[in-house]
Amino acid sequence: MAENVIGTDISPPDLRAKITGRARYAEDFRAEGMVFAKLLLSPMPHARVRSVDTSAAEAMEGVLGILRADELPVQSEGLREGALTDEPKYEGEPVLAVAAVDETTAAAAVEAIRVDFEQLPFVLDPLESLREGGPDAHVGGNISAGRGEFGSLKWPASVFEEAGADKLPMGEAAAEWTIGDIETGFDEADVVVEETIVHQSVTHHPMEPRSCMAYWQNGKLFLHGSTQSTERTRGGVAGLAGVEPEDVVFIGEYCGGGFGSKISGSPIMAVPAVLSRKIGRPVMLRITRYEENYIGRARAGFQGWAKMGFRADGRMTALDLYLVQDSGPFGASDLFTAGTVATASYQPENMRFRGAAILTNTPPRSAQRAPGGAQIVAMLEPLVDKAARELDVDRLEIRKINAPGHDGWLGARQTPFTSAYVREALDLGGELFNWEEKKQLSGQRNGTKVTGVGMGLSPFTAGSAGRDGLLVIRPDGKLYVHQGIGNLGTHSIADTARPAADVLDLSWDQVVIVWGDTSKHLPFSTVQAGSQTTHAHTRANHAAGTAMLGLLQELAARELGGSPTDYRVADGRVFRAGNRAAGMNFAEAARRAIATGGKFSGGVVPEDLNDATKAAVAGLAGEGLIAAARDNYSRGGSVYTWVATFAQIELDVETGEVEIIDLASTTDCGTVMHPRSLAAQTNGGVFQGIGMAKGQRWVFDPKWGIPFTKRFYTARPPGILDVPLSPRFAAVDEPDPRTPVGAKGIGEPPVGAGEAAYVCAVADAMGGLCLCRTPLTADMILAELEGRPRPYGLLETHV
Amino acid sequence: MLQTEAIQARRGGFTRRKFIKGVVAAGATASVSGYLFRGSGIFAPMLTAQGAVERLVTLTVNGQQRRVDVPKYETLAMTLRYQLGLTGTKLGCDRAECGACTVLLDGVTHYGCSILTHSVQGREVTTIEGLEQDGELHPVQQAVMDEGGFQCAFCAPGFAMSMVGMLEKNPNPTREEAAVLLSGNLCRCGDYDKILNTAMRAAELSRSRA
Amino acid sequence: MAVMRDMIPPFELYQPTEVDDAVRLMRQHGDKGWVLAGGLDTFDWFKDRIKRPEAVIDLVGVEELRGISDGADGGLDIGAMTSLTDVAENADVMNRYPLLAEAAGLVATPQIRNQGTLGGNIVQDTRCWYYRSGWPCYRAGGNVCYAATSQSMNREHCIMGASRCVAVSPSDTAPALVALDAEMVVASTSGERTWAAADFFIGPDIDIERMTVLKPGDLLARIVLPAPWEGARWYFEKVRDRKAWDFSLVSVASSLRVEAGMIQDARIVVNSVAPYPVRLRAVESAIRGRAPSEETGQMAGEIAVEGARTLRHNDYKVALMRNLVKRSIRDAA
Repeated sequence: MAENVIGTDISPPDLRAKITGRARYAEDFRAEGMVFAKLLLSPMPHARVRSVDTSAAEAMEGVLGILRADELPVQSEGLREGALTDEPKYEGEPVLAVAAVDETTAAAAVEAIRVDFEQLPFVLDPLESLREGGPDAHVGGNISAGRGEFGSLKWPASVFEEAGADKLPMGEAAAEWTIGDIETGFDEADVVVEETIVHQSVTHHPMEPRSCMAYWQNGKLFLHGSTQSTERTRGGVAGLAGVEPEDVVFIGEYCGGGFGSKISGSPIMAVPAVLSRKIGRPVMLRITRYEENYIGRARAGFQGWAKMGFRADGRMTALDLYLVQDSGPFGASDLFTAGTVATASYQPENMRFRGAAILTNTPPRSAQRAPGGAQIVAMLEPLVDKAARELDVDRLEIRKINAPGHDGWLGARQTPFTSAYVREALDLGGELFNWEEKKQLSGQRNGTKVTGVGMGLSPFTAGSAGRDGLLVIRPDGKLYVHQGIGNLGTHSIADTARPAADVLDLSWDQVVIVWGDTSKHLPFSTVQAGSQTTHAHTRANHAAGTAMLGLLQELAARELGGSPTDYRVADGRVFRAGNRAAGMNFAEAARRAIATGGKFSGGVVPEDLNDATKAAVAGLAGEGLIAAARDNYSRGGSVYTWVATFAQIELDVETGEVEIIDLASTTDCGTVMHPRSLAAQTNGGVFQGIGMAKGQRWVFDPKWGIPFTKRFYTARPPGILDVPLSPRFAAVDEPDPRTPVGAKGIGEPPVGAGEAAYVCAVADAMGGLCLCRTPLTADMILAELEGRPRPYGLLETHV
Repeated sequence: MLQTEAIQARRGGFTRRKFIKGVVAAGATASVSGYLFRGSGIFAPMLTAQGAVERLVTLTVNGQQRRVDVPKYETLAMTLRYQLGLTGTKLGCDRAECGACTVLLDGVTHYGCSILTHSVQGREVTTIEGLEQDGELHPVQQAVMDEGGFQCAFCAPGFAMSMVGMLEKNPNPTREEAAVLLSGNLCRCGDYDKILNTAMRAAELSRSRA
Repeated sequence: MAVMRDMIPPFELYQPTEVDDAVRLMRQHGDKGWVLAGGLDTFDWFKDRIKRPEAVIDLVGVEELRGISDGADGGLDIGAMTSLTDVAENADVMNRYPLLAEAAGLVATPQIRNQGTLGGNIVQDTRCWYYRSGWPCYRAGGNVCYAATSQSMNREHCIMGASRCVAVSPSDTAPALVALDAEMVVASTSGERTWAAADFFIGPDIDIERMTVLKPGDLLARIVLPAPWEGARWYFEKVRDRKAWDFSLVSVASSLRVEAGMIQDARIVVNSVAPYPVRLRAVESAIRGRAPSEETGQMAGEIAVEGARTLRHNDYKVALMRNLVKRSIRDAA
């Protein structure tokens, strides 16, 4: 019997290429006659192009063409973002592109272009836009009214006056829902806590900027890009280029990080795609870090207020939330997720959620690893600590008291969880971190340093359902797993293939992963977002593996006699139960499948497959034994993963600097597919959260509307010395019963856990004082400790 | 020009004449045709000013001499990526901030994005492509394989070069010392724990091979 | 003209091998020339296309500008092109001037220390982000400071020494060298001239477009360290947002001569609070004859921040400077 590959450490099949420099990312491709494009970016946060004079640029030797916004199939209009625009809505939005024989020439040509911009009113701070007469990000309004329409949300001056400078003004909400009755909840509470809290926006900054290269051949667009998804990117690229999906070959074998910013393509891909068609040359658009700062997406920020009520026993009776979201110019949906995620931590008996998502003239937002979730966890967890202190309930205990069990529910509709081993994860974390002993260190002083300990519990969605799986056993006897999913860097490109190998009892070295190029006949899959991939695509490949098992049995019965149920499959052979000699190996099975044709080699496919999968199977037909299946496993309930992170820090009271001394995380993410990668995913997410809490910055000059944190050294993502040397990790490893594999996603939940653990530990070192803001930099901490004026107002954002 | 060159020759500095001779003997010359438009020279002065450097340079990259026509303002990372086809050296920021472009010059780590190609003549340039010897992975690369290192791995070549530089400097580092020596490289996936495991494993493998 | 970033505009390149040739080329090209050392400040300017020299004089081949050797009177001479790594890891520097070794070792990252030079670290330009973004401010030849208005983002800016411009000196080695009483030897076509480190750095009141005395044609050739104080204690600390690749929010360098438990002499320098490293002469005289204790440190810190003038977002620097001065006395070893 082959060893079960699920739950063991493997070396991902792409690792050797990655570490020898042979792995080619988008900017590593070259094409015969390739030329270069450069972008002209808006110098103002909101403007309208009155006129453009490109004559000097066009006269330059080596300039091959200029692309304007009106030449694109997808035009920038209202809330729809185009790759280029004549009405830029943030400083840095691309206005036009120039192609030239080299970048030096293209850059000089961009400089030689004269654009006459009409400056328009702009807004950075959502609260400013909410004031009567305050500026709007778009000419049409400051909120989305759905269906691409604008609305206007303005609050009377009295709302702002009533709130004062230190409390969130709460006028008419654009979104609201309740569970139970909030007043009753507070009536039943023994302790009530409330805070105004700011969570800043944060740029994604994946290591690989979204460079892309495109060329056309025989009417087909070939585009090299960096995305999280592969098959699901093709349609997006087709739309951007104005062609049918079947006329697009998308190549993206490696993605240098996305974190939600590269789910299925980027608007900017339209530039090389359309420009290369226009000038008849392959076009490389090398995106710089500076440009990535602008067009590379960011997490939406919140200005919020929360009030919580608890009974003396620690149970949360009421949670009242109001969030104002900084949506950027084109909107973001973090706000709605945030309220839902809060229920998955605390299961409040009564809850009210109110919010408003306000458009601003700042770079576009998109999902960023736990969108809405990370923010709300980091904002609310310190309040839970504050209540625990008042109630004299242990901080770990209060989380266990409120955490959902298997009868737990999610959100306003109170849908049931598929599984929730949250208390188990918390207990495991308490043991791993040694919470009972560590919490005794709280407030201990060593010279100028004070110890703080804290923890954060972070839930997030972890999958829904998969789409199609596609497997081929070729005459070489190997199992080819065709992956429509992208290789987004999490090792899931390999890990999600494991169920197929397990169902067929095949050793891992007999498995070949096919991925990263839509001309390689890839099945339709889910998008690589929302921590979907592991949950969804293990299901799809389990379904395909099961279909392959059936085909092998049927083929064997047909060729060797007996009924399909007489046959077993193991170690690359299909054979009669009890007689391994009576059968054939996979190579033979592939040959016979090809000879037999029909459903054995792709001639007939299940009707419920997506058309893209059917086309992929048709492309492979006759090349081996082919099994394709749709994931028809159960879809009921909400699939959630929880991560608990525990942190011990030292705060230097003379400088405001914080050092993390110890860090431990645990998770309930269902069955562990790949222990080492799971730990890495968790620690990496925790570190990203710590980065947001500790120092990643997003700073604008408020007068000019221009960001300053547009390079790494000013945006300050965490380096190797900013995180602890040896974070610890453990998983509950209980299967989720809704899937045959039992795995739930892990990408997103760790972020909020790391962020909250850090914020709570810092508050603990300050005697329970919550500064209620991220990032929490040394200047803010020191000002508080020294009793000096706060560097920023409580509601101030973009600082 | 003549005056400067004469001085160079006398002092044994890097004399252009000597270099070109050396290259002709070694033979290897990089092509600047095809897609390699970066060096087309439209904006570079057509004639070299008196006393200024010539565009044609000889580089020693991964043990091979490569003769390349390089604009005077071009950085090493660009030359490696767009003239010599060595795309393992990545550009993550092009500002000496992220380390994805880290290469070795005479065994010492440098940001390839922030040094002129013309400034590295006479120095041994080592890139990620130069680590593997006769199909055998360098201990650093083997350590990555052993530890399942990196996630998106866009930072991996740069980190690997920093690890090679680390081993040159401190073959037996503590985890903390390794972190300091690797602190010029960023990993946005936050895979620092596994990167340090890899660094420690690399040191172990390197010692056992030595 | 539209703004373009991240492409170096073409220039002519010179690679002299001798100081004489370098300074001759520098004089020849005047303000259209640019001296290239490690390049880490330079390429930022070039890639932003804000500084666009016609001629770049690359010092990589000038061997006499590199290296550390014994100087006169028991001191040490360090060539300006010596890498920060070589400074930080040189046995003589580590043993006799640990303050400088520490400061050099805390610059940015290993790669930057390998490539960046001591001279470059000393003469680097300010990191005021308005100025570095190419805004036409005083320092850039304009007639306004964008960082000092009531709305400006100026967390990193001056609390003293401002004069129209509120940008700070970002150098880590500069305060150490002032605390060590180093001398800067400047070469030009008219020969060499030596400046005390404390006089080498200038404020905007003297020249708003320069941070040092260097004018076009001047080349910082070497740094001369005098013999260290016998039994000196020292302290260096750099508070920053990230532990690598970051400039100081405030840094402090101190050198104390302590005999019989009492401070006999002291040089204390704070950086990133003013456009130049600030030597705290009043503090130095106030602590003479006192024990290097918490109390003395506290007093010193209070004196140090007298007259500090804060901007909208940098009040914390007053507390940070006060505390770091305290530590530089209390914790000097």
